[in-house]
Amino acid sequence: MSDKLLFKDIDEPGLNTLAVYRRRGGYEALRQALQLAPEDVLKQLEASGLRGRGGAGFAMGKKVSFLPKGSMDKYLVCNADESEPGTFKDRELMQKSPHMLLEGIVIASYAAGANRSFIYIRGEYVLQADVLDAALAEAREAGYIGEQILGSEHSLSLVVHRGAGAYICGEETGLLDSLEGKRGNPRLKPPFPANQGLYQGPTLINNVETLSTVPTIMRMGGEEYAKLGVQTSTGTKLVSISGQVRRPGNYEIELGIPSREIIFGLAGGPLEGRQIKCWFPGGSSAPVLTAEDLDVPYDFDSLAKAGSMLGSGAIIVVDDSTPIVELAIKLAKFYRHESCGKCTPCREGTNWTVEMLERIDSGEATPMDLDIMASVQEHIIGNCLCVLGDAMAMPIGSMIAKFRPEFEAHIESARARADLNPAHPAGHTAGHQAGASEQALAAQGAPGA
Amino acid sequence: MPRPEPKTITFTIDGLEVQAPENVMLVDAAKHGDVEIPVFCYEPKLGNPVGACRMCLVEIEGIGKLQTGCSTPVKDGMVVHTQTERVKIAQQAVVEFLLINHPLDCPVCDKGGECPLQDITFGWGPGHSRFIEPKRHFVKPLELSPTIAIDRERCILCYRCARFSQEISEDHQLVLLERGAHSYISTFDGHPYVAPFSGNIVELCPVGALTSLPYRFRARPWDVEDAGSVCTLCPSQCNVTLTVRDDRVLRVLARQNDEVDDGWLCDRGRFAYPALGGDERITEPLIRDGGELRPVSWERALEAAASGLKRAGERTGAIAGGQATGEEGFLLARLLREGLGSPHLDSRRAGTLPLELHRALSDPALQAKISDLEFAHSVLVLDADPIEDMPILDLRLRKGVRRHDMKLLEASSEDLPALRELALSLGQHGEDVVILWHERLTAGPNGPAATQALLEIAASLSMSEVPGAGLLEIPAGSNGRGLREAGVLPNAGPGLCELDDAPGRDARGIAEALIAGELAALYLLQSDPLEELPERDLWEQALERASTVVAHASFLTDGLRAHADVVFPSEAYAEKEGTVVHPDGRLQRLRPAVARPGKFGSTLAGWQVLAKVASRLDLDLGVLTGSMASQQLFDAVPFYAGLTLEEIGGRGVRWQERETAVTS
Repeated sequence: MSDKLLFKDIDEPGLNTLAVYRRRGGYEALRQALQLAPEDVLKQLEASGLRGRGGAGFAMGKKVSFLPKGSMDKYLVCNADESEPGTFKDRELMQKSPHMLLEGIVIASYAAGANRSFIYIRGEYVLQADVLDAALAEAREAGYIGEQILGSEHSLSLVVHRGAGAYICGEETGLLDSLEGKRGNPRLKPPFPANQGLYQGPTLINNVETLSTVPTIMRMGGEEYAKLGVQTSTGTKLVSISGQVRRPGNYEIELGIPSREIIFGLAGGPLEGRQIKCWFPGGSSAPVLTAEDLDVPYDFDSLAKAGSMLGSGAIIVVDDSTPIVELAIKLAKFYRHESCGKCTPCREGTNWTVEMLERIDSGEATPMDLDIMASVQEHIIGNCLCVLGDAMAMPIGSMIAKFRPEFEAHIESARARADLNPAHPAGHTAGHQAGASEQALAAQGAPGA
Repeated sequence: MPRPEPKTITFTIDGLEVQAPENVMLVDAAKHGDVEIPVFCYEPKLGNPVGACRMCLVEIEGIGKLQTGCSTPVKDGMVVHTQTERVKIAQQAVVEFLLINHPLDCPVCDKGGECPLQDITFGWGPGHSRFIEPKRHFVKPLELSPTIAIDRERCILCYRCARFSQEISEDHQLVLLERGAHSYISTFDGHPYVAPFSGNIVELCPVGALTSLPYRFRARPWDVEDAGSVCTLCPSQCNVTLTVRDDRVLRVLARQNDEVDDGWLCDRGRFAYPALGGDERITEPLIRDGGELRPVSWERALEAAASGLKRAGERTGAIAGGQATGEEGFLLARLLREGLGSPHLDSRRAGTLPLELHRALSDPALQAKISDLEFAHSVLVLDADPIEDMPILDLRLRKGVRRHDMKLLEASSEDLPALRELALSLGQHGEDVVILWHERLTAGPNGPAATQALLEIAASLSMSEVPGAGLLEIPAGSNGRGLREAGVLPNAGPGLCELDDAPGRDARGIAEALIAGELAALYLLQSDPLEELPERDLWEQALERASTVVAHASFLTDGLRAHADVVFPSEAYAEKEGTVVHPDGRLQRLRPAVARPGKFGSTLAGWQVLAKVASRLDLDLGVLTGSMASQQLFDAVPFYAGLTLEEIGGRGVRWQERETAVTS
């Protein structure tokens, strides 16, 4: 594809080294940016219409402009926690083209007036963190990061910080707490990080892909970049396709192309003899869409209009061989496990949902439980401290709404199986196992016991 | 530092236009319109809201999502709805979520009847639950500390106790372990939560997850009565509510007074109450008979005390301990000066302070108050250890540092030039500096010079002119300030007035005179010199030599058991009537919450004993009731002029802030 930007040279051997990256024109955008005033760099970012690639899709230039002016310590934090199930685009970017991220960070920090920056990378990305560390050492040596970068007045320190593996640390304020050395719990917003973020200072937080796009925008010019894609979703996007497709992987697409073109064209469609049952357009926290929605253009607004979201750009395809209840259980368990426990609806709602789903699976539920489960999802959505609760409730809610007959059939068949063999309820007995482990946990956490 | 000045705004809540101070959180602003928004995790004492429980969701026009009222500052023109269907559904949902893992064991829960979770469930809950799965189980109850039980099944994970530990007492012991639905409150490695202010978490807990072990299963809320009083176990004089059942104090709770305690209590104040009803309390008058103290009738004890004192006459000395009220001190001084003609009485532990220095230190313009500690630019702690001397100040100082960037320094008066340099460096640009110092600064050979230096520093920093600046003394005795103001000093009468006669001996002087045989009798008003005063050996000898020792005491301590000739049972603070003075000059009122000890509360009040002894010495003190004693005290101290018990009320009155203080 000729319109590749981020992935233009991605398979070039040695792109992770400074020499190769520079041969491919690397750090020229930075040199160019430093010759402009920070406000002019910011103007380019705003003109590009670039929307955050991490999940929320907030306009990046606007986010930068929210940072207060002045001489206080400002921070830039790159969110490399990439923990949304199905998302693995940042991994490839960091592993193969770390300098592009570093260059983007320096340019963005110049526009934002930030002098300290961090890359918060998930603990599981050991190789990628090592690659980043090596690239950072090279960039420092070459004077792209450090004091008075390329002879300009701009200085920037950069630390690669490895997380310890928690989904919630991908939530921006949870990430900040974790980075400060605390338990990674989300904070109340407002204040937003732009005003009070890391160490209470103004902080710009962006995703790896967002920041990696910045050099391209500088090179092309914001307005030129904005011509790519569609009106409110400009530019190109990396899409991670996984699940039951023939050619899973990362693809760079121009925003606004039909989703079918991605799933069938790029990823080769479902496996031999299978039909698409549902697909997550933007990571596991996006409400599921069905085969009927395959012609929805793949961009922020069209997916929102279709009742889902672009999220992190991770398409997970599920075919008709997967029971929807199993999918729901897997998903809900993930979010229950990752809920930090700080706010009530998420803590209790995710747990309750898992228990209800397990009851459905073990033949102890009635179709009435579906109504309760659906209403529990509604009670979670919009009422939580951060979006983790919504991230479970939205897809589960959409599954119940779109596959109710299958849920009901599952309830009936599980009940029938349980009736045949009452001593051993059918399906998973995970509910009982969880109960046992909770008791073990309680015994463990018993001071003075 | 300038104090925040609230601006009043108008906003609309449930269709009602309400005025409230700008930027207070909606849940508080709503109260101005008599609207209650339910909360669990919100507690302004704990600092910034965390928005964890989600109970306070409200609808604000112009904002799409429901907002937490606990974290949304009210703005002019805001339109808020708390009664819409959307809000109701969300609130019911939160209650339902909170209850799915709550054991609902209210009938056996100490909190039952005074439980926010119960109240909110009734007021805002759905009335039923759809949860039929097994509930979460924990081993319970466990001892979180020797005084606190934790029931993790009842816990709704509101974070209040952890926030207290992290952000108020800053002992950093309580944390949440695990995550999600498995979260539970614990200490890092299961160690007991032992900290000077740990008991506050029991009061903060909005459910029955944290309960007080001494109070556990002692009473239900409908069995008890609340009685407001003041804890006089230390100079902090925290305001308390005593939980009383069947004439026994079963619990001590904080009674929030921001000018005194900010609503916190130390563990000593909270958990020392069982001693009030202990078997070791003295409940009858005792006199020494054949070397042993034996119970006798009041008549005999009063007679014995009077005859001993009469024999000694002006060769009597008296010591008042910090637990005595101003009234008792005042009557004791009258008994000594008018009844016996003796000027030898003291209530200070640090020795005599020359009257002019004493007066200079008491200058109303120089006095800092408790809230100044929080807002001052800097606080210099001088010769004091707040956590030992006046524990509640520890929390106030931490609050100042954490929330108002107050600068906190510690110094000793041993090196005066260094002290002077340090203190003056703090106020170079007219900043408000508060010096928190302890009575011990004036003691010893260095005392007079240190006192002089302190006054000079105060003058150099223009403390009397800079708003919020000043001196704050921690006296050794709980009511040290009140006793001095009542005239229990060898060199001053009530209100620090000059005496007509020559000054008497101070505490040390009394001991020396007893040893030398110049004094014969000793009157101990709630004081055992062996326990409270320095130089124990000196006092052993003095008590040995004294021909008559009359004491008012609640417990038979070493000195009294060995040396007292007459012991009158005295009331503890929960039984007392009278006034005490807080170190910053706030007169506070003690009210009897339970009857005095003895059969049917038969013992006499301290003021009564003093009056009866006086009458046997042919002095009519003219007090027939406790309030008459208070009136005499208010009349005698010029700067208390016109004060009444009603004016003091439940919150206390700083005499420096009364109009008469300026004129007198």
